[in-house]
This record gives sequence, C-alpha cells and structure tokens, in this order.
Amino acid sequence: MSASTNASENGLKQQGWTWFSQALTQHDTFSGYFQPLIQMLLPQWTTDAYRAQIVDVRDEMSDMYSLVLKPQTGLLDRIWPEFKAGQFIELMVEKEGRRTLRCFSISSSPAYYEKTGLIELSIRIQQKGRITPWIRQQLTIGSLVNISEAQGQFVLPESLLQGPSSEKLLLIAGGSGITPFRSMLQQVHSQHLKGSHALDIHLLYYSRDAQQVLFQQEFEQLEKDCAGLTISFLDSESDGFICSDHLQAYCSDYYQRTAFICGPSPMIQQARKVLAELEVAKDKIYFEFFGAAPLEIENSEQGVVLFQASDKSIVSEKDKTNTLLEQAEQQGLSPVSGCRIGVCHQCICKKKSGVVFNTRTQEYSDTGSEEIQLCISVAQGDVVLDL
Amino acid sequence: MTTHLAENRPDAETLKAFENDLNNIREETMAKVGEKDAKYIRKLIRIQRSSDMLGRVALVLGFFNPLFWIAGIVLLALSKILDNMEIGHNIMHGQYDWMNDPHINSRKFDWDIWGDGGSWKRYHNHEHHTYTNIIGKDRDYGYGLLRLSDDIAWRPKNRFQFITYFLLSSFFQFGIAYHEVAGERIFAGKRKEKSSLPISREALKHSFFAKIKKQAFKEYIFFPLLAALISWPMFFAVLAGNLIAEFIRNWWTSSVIFCGHFTEDAHTFDEKECENETRGQWYYRQILGSSNFEGSRNFHILTGHLSCQIEHHLYPDVPAHHYVDMAKQVREVCAKYDIPYNTGSFVQQYWTVIKRVAKYSWPTEEEQKVAVS
Repeated sequence: MSASTNASENGLKQQGWTWFSQALTQHDTFSGYFQPLIQMLLPQWTTDAYRAQIVDVRDEMSDMYSLVLKPQTGLLDRIWPEFKAGQFIELMVEKEGRRTLRCFSISSSPAYYEKTGLIELSIRIQQKGRITPWIRQQLTIGSLVNISEAQGQFVLPESLLQGPSSEKLLLIAGGSGITPFRSMLQQVHSQHLKGSHALDIHLLYYSRDAQQVLFQQEFEQLEKDCAGLTISFLDSESDGFICSDHLQAYCSDYYQRTAFICGPSPMIQQARKVLAELEVAKDKIYFEFFGAAPLEIENSEQGVVLFQASDKSIVSEKDKTNTLLEQAEQQGLSPVSGCRIGVCHQCICKKKSGVVFNTRTQEYSDTGSEEIQLCISVAQGDVVLDL
Repeated sequence: MTTHLAENRPDAETLKAFENDLNNIREETMAKVGEKDAKYIRKLIRIQRSSDMLGRVALVLGFFNPLFWIAGIVLLALSKILDNMEIGHNIMHGQYDWMNDPHINSRKFDWDIWGDGGSWKRYHNHEHHTYTNIIGKDRDYGYGLLRLSDDIAWRPKNRFQFITYFLLSSFFQFGIAYHEVAGERIFAGKRKEKSSLPISREALKHSFFAKIKKQAFKEYIFFPLLAALISWPMFFAVLAGNLIAEFIRNWWTSSVIFCGHFTEDAHTFDEKECENETRGQWYYRQILGSSNFEGSRNFHILTGHLSCQIEHHLYPDVPAHHYVDMAKQVREVCAKYDIPYNTGSFVQQYWTVIKRVAKYSWPTEEEQKVAVS
C-alpha cells in the first residue's frame, strides 16, 4: 500500500470520527465536550494545550524571574512533545476568567528536560504589563498552567548537535534576549561533557548596565567548561549598541560565522543593519524578536497589518481609522461579515498578535493571541491576523 | 398595528439622555464581568453535560423500572433546554467570547438542536437583532406562518392559525432550522433580487441537511440502537423517550420566545422609520418591541434569561445572568423618561400571546367590509 492511500485512509477515518463526535456531542472531538467534566478531576486540563506544574519560582534580578515548569505526565495528559534548544512556548494563564497567552523562549536545554523532566522560562517584568507582573504575584509553587508545544525556527543548526562540525556561530544577545541562547549553550555544554567534538561559538552579550547581567556567573562557568566557546560581556551604557567596531574588535572572523540575533526589536534591526553593511549573506542571519509588543501605543505612527493566511499586508496610518474588516476588503479578501456594527459576531477572527482598539467598547485589546471582531477593531501598530 | 415612531418617540434631547443612562448600565455591568462569569457558565455546562449523560443512561434503565424512563426524559429535556437557552444561545451571541476559551465562544459553539449554529448566528444575530419587529425585515415576526399584526393582510388560511401555532411549537426545532436558512427562499426558489447573505444557497442547504442528519442519527438511530443491544423493544422505548424530550424542549423554547416579542402590547415598526436611527432611537425601538416576564432565578436560567428579552435586546452580548439585575435599572430609566416597559408574570404574558394569535386569526373590520363589498 502506498503512502498516499494510507494518508487518505487516515484522513477518511479522521473525518468519520469527527462526524461521529459532532453528531453525538456537537463538538469536533469528544474530549471537547467532556472537557468541563474532566476539569473537575484534573484542573486546567484542556484539549488544545498541555498542563504544566510550577515547581519553582526563582528571582533572577530585580525585574526578572524564572519559572521552573514540569509538563504533566498523568494518565489523561497528552505527552508534551520534545523541543529544540532556542524554541519558545505559549504560556496560557487565566486572569479574571480570561485566558491570556504570552510567548516565552525556553531558557533551559532539552538535555536538562530529558534528565529532570523540567523546563525553565525566564521572564522580564514589563512595568506596565498586564500579565508578566501578575504571573509573578499569582503563580505559586504547585499551581498549574497551560503551555503549548514548543515552536519556532530559531534553533541550533542540526549539524552542530549531531557530530563534529565545521559550522561556526556568532550569537548576539540583547538583555532578556539571552534566554534562547542559555538553552542552546547548555545543550552544547551537555554534549561537550559527553566528550564530543570541537566547536567554535562566539557570544556577544549586551546588557543594560554592568551591575545586572542575567545569568552572568553561569555563563562564565560555561565558558570555562567548554573549549571553543567565547563570551564577550558588553554593557550598552558604556560600550553602546552593537556596531561594526564591536564586531571587528571582539569577533573579527564574524564573516565566517552564521549569526543568531535575539533581543528587543530596535537592537535586532540595528544588528541586522550592521551585518548587512559588512556584507554578511542574508541566509546566514537568523533572528528572533523578543519581549512583549511595544506598550506605548501612542508612539507608533503607523503599523503593518499582516493577513497571515493569505500572505497579504497593509500599512495602516495612525490617524486613519479604517477597521480591520475594511482593510481586509481593500486587500481583496472577503472575510465573512454581517451587521458591521459589532452586534452579530460573524466577522470574528483570530488575532495572533498586536494591539487593536475596539470602537464599540472603546477599549484596547491585549497584546497576545485572541479572537476579535474585525468590523469594530482598528489596528494600533503592528497586528498579525489569521485571515 | 405598526407604531409610528416619529409621532410617539420622545424628542431628541430626551432620547440622548435616555441613551446615556442605558449605556451607563452596560458599562457598570461589564466592569463586573470576570472570573465569576467564567465559573458560572462552566458550572452550567457541567450540569447540562451531566444531565445529558444521566438522562441517556436512565432511559435505558427504564428496562428495569419505567420510573427510570420518566426520569430519563426529564433529564434529557433539561439538558436540551439548558444547552439551547442559557448555554448555546448566549454563547453564540458572543456573551462569553472575552474568555478566549477554545470551546466557549461564538465561533465554535454549536447547539443540541436541528438548526445549524452557523446559520442561526448569520440570520438571528444579524437580521432579528438589528431589525427587531420591523414588518418585512424581521422574519422572526410570526415566522412567516402566523399573522400577529394587522400590517399583514388577512388571508383565509389565517383562520386556522391556531393549528399552525400548535404544529410550529411542537416541531419548533424544524421550524427554526428551516426558518434560519430562509428555507422558502433556498428551497422553493423565491429569490430575492439582491442577496444579503454572505454565503451561497448551496452552502446553506448543505449545512441545513448536514446538521439534521447528525441530530437524527443521534436521537433516532444511535442511542435507540445502543439500547436495542439489551433487548430489541428498548429501541422503541429510547426512541420515544428522545422524541418526548425534544417535544418538551420544543414547546418550552417556543413559548419563551413567543412571550418575548408577540405579547399583546409588543409593538411593530415600519422599515422606513428605522433608517439612520441613533443609538437612543434603536434602544427605544428594542424596548417597545420586546417584553419580559418574571420568575425565580432557576426559572430565568431555564429561559436562558430570555425572560429578560428587553435587556437581551438592549445588550445582546452582556453575559445573560446579569440581565435580572440590569432589568431593575432599565425599568427605572424607562419610568424616568415615561417609556413603556412591558412585563408581567409568565402566565399573564403567555395569555396575551394566545389572545394575539386568536385576534389576528380574523380580518379587521375594515378588511371585512372590503371583502363584503
């Protein structure tokens, strides 16, 4: 039997099962129908995410803490899938009855997870944020949260993890953007201990000031333990932001390396610009935006609305008040819509990220992923829609 | 008789103040919406799902003692009533969308009734809630079957509309399913020149039949067959139990809904007068076109808080269990501006519905004269 008939047979079986479940429960899956009852036994159990228990909350710095999570492995829990060093997860918490999602890089390594069953998230407290300070206050040891599976392409090259490799890396971290690199370097370190291959990695680590450097001791230890790992600690206050001088001074063979950049978006843009000017090929630069979307809504003069599923985008000016529905229609998309005044709820669409203003309730939305009514939502800055 | 809004409506200034007062009630309530509401709806869903399962088991246990069979019918009817009214209707109005829950939201939810949730939302949330009681626009007005106002010309078939009403209520789930896809248009070819529907007739037909097939499979084939494994006559016992539970639910929902818009004093409107309404004018029309009835907390829950039809029409996306408290405030606001507020006991209101169905079974005096001459 060929693979394609197999796949179509599985598809048919799946369709049949979905039909059966819809017929009996009006839900696509039986577990969806029984979820509220299952939750009586297993709090936080949900069909679309995994359960994890908070094992420890550790303050790293005055505005930074780490959550140690244990993905649950009970009889009714789906097993949380493996992850790669550098990937992120969505952390879902319920605040005032409302499920809120935030993305965080996993700051510990897959090797550590294999050994202990634990993962760590290192989170910066956004001063005006709705969620990050709240999590620190509310989540106590033992409480349960939901997490997604790990996602993202910002991962160590396969070749580096499998055996001797000639691939050289340049890692550039800004502030809390260090977290995915912690995962990567811990992973490299654990393989190094197993006595494998030589490596050549250089990390440029920019922090806000020299007093507070997240994971400094740990990184110094890693540097000692791993031959071939070099770390330059830079202080943006005295050294300034990344520039070509820094590259030449600290890592003069940068042009031979594959670059990975993670940090706040201005820093990423700066680093990409510098590398481009130094004629580093685009396909050798990987980057990951980090931290919550900008909180100062007033400052964003214009934003890009990305209609992800149809791969279209539109620039929206701040002083124009076109709704997302109108913008989608301008782009030739025809989302289902109805009353166009926010009553009928037909134009609901998943917003993946960004802030929108609701013209009916006069409220700003959350930054994370949630469902919105297109006909009464106006983009504030960059918005990504699943449309 | 259609109410002439222009003549009866308070002046613009009063309506503006009235609008502000009503907006304030909404804002005060929405500020309270949070964890309690999430817990509340989840609790109700748990009660409904438990009573669904227990009901189906009890029907089969009727094999041992018929009292179980009766309990099964009651539980199953309760499950369907809760699912359709307090849970499904309200979730599909978007009242719980703020929870951001993958299953408790208006986009995903579908209810335990023949009518397909998607089609219902398309038609009911849009047409009925925007054009409430506008003759010719709000197809819910008499469901195209009953003459409940003298704006509709009398026809001889109206003489028998009590029978029509009895049949409509008994098979209400079919009536709703057919009605919400505008069955007479998509099946009988009564085409409107300009279709306002965002999806094709074929898609509508498909969802109409797909949902009914699923429901019929569940109630008339699957569960009866499962019971037949014990002993074959149980097939008919369970089938009958399911049908009776549906019948109870049908009459209940039909009666609640009729009390919401078809009571004696519920007004009807003319399309032209409702163009370019302000929010205050819209509020005013919603209040005139709806009616409430009173009862205990559990009674309100069984009606899905459509017992507070007025508040539901003013605030369709506020979690419904707040309506009872809001009703007190809305009533005060109406008294302040001398705007009629239609409420009474369920029995009183239902009696006026019956009177209305009876009254319009016959032509008006003028029509009679015309007919004679």
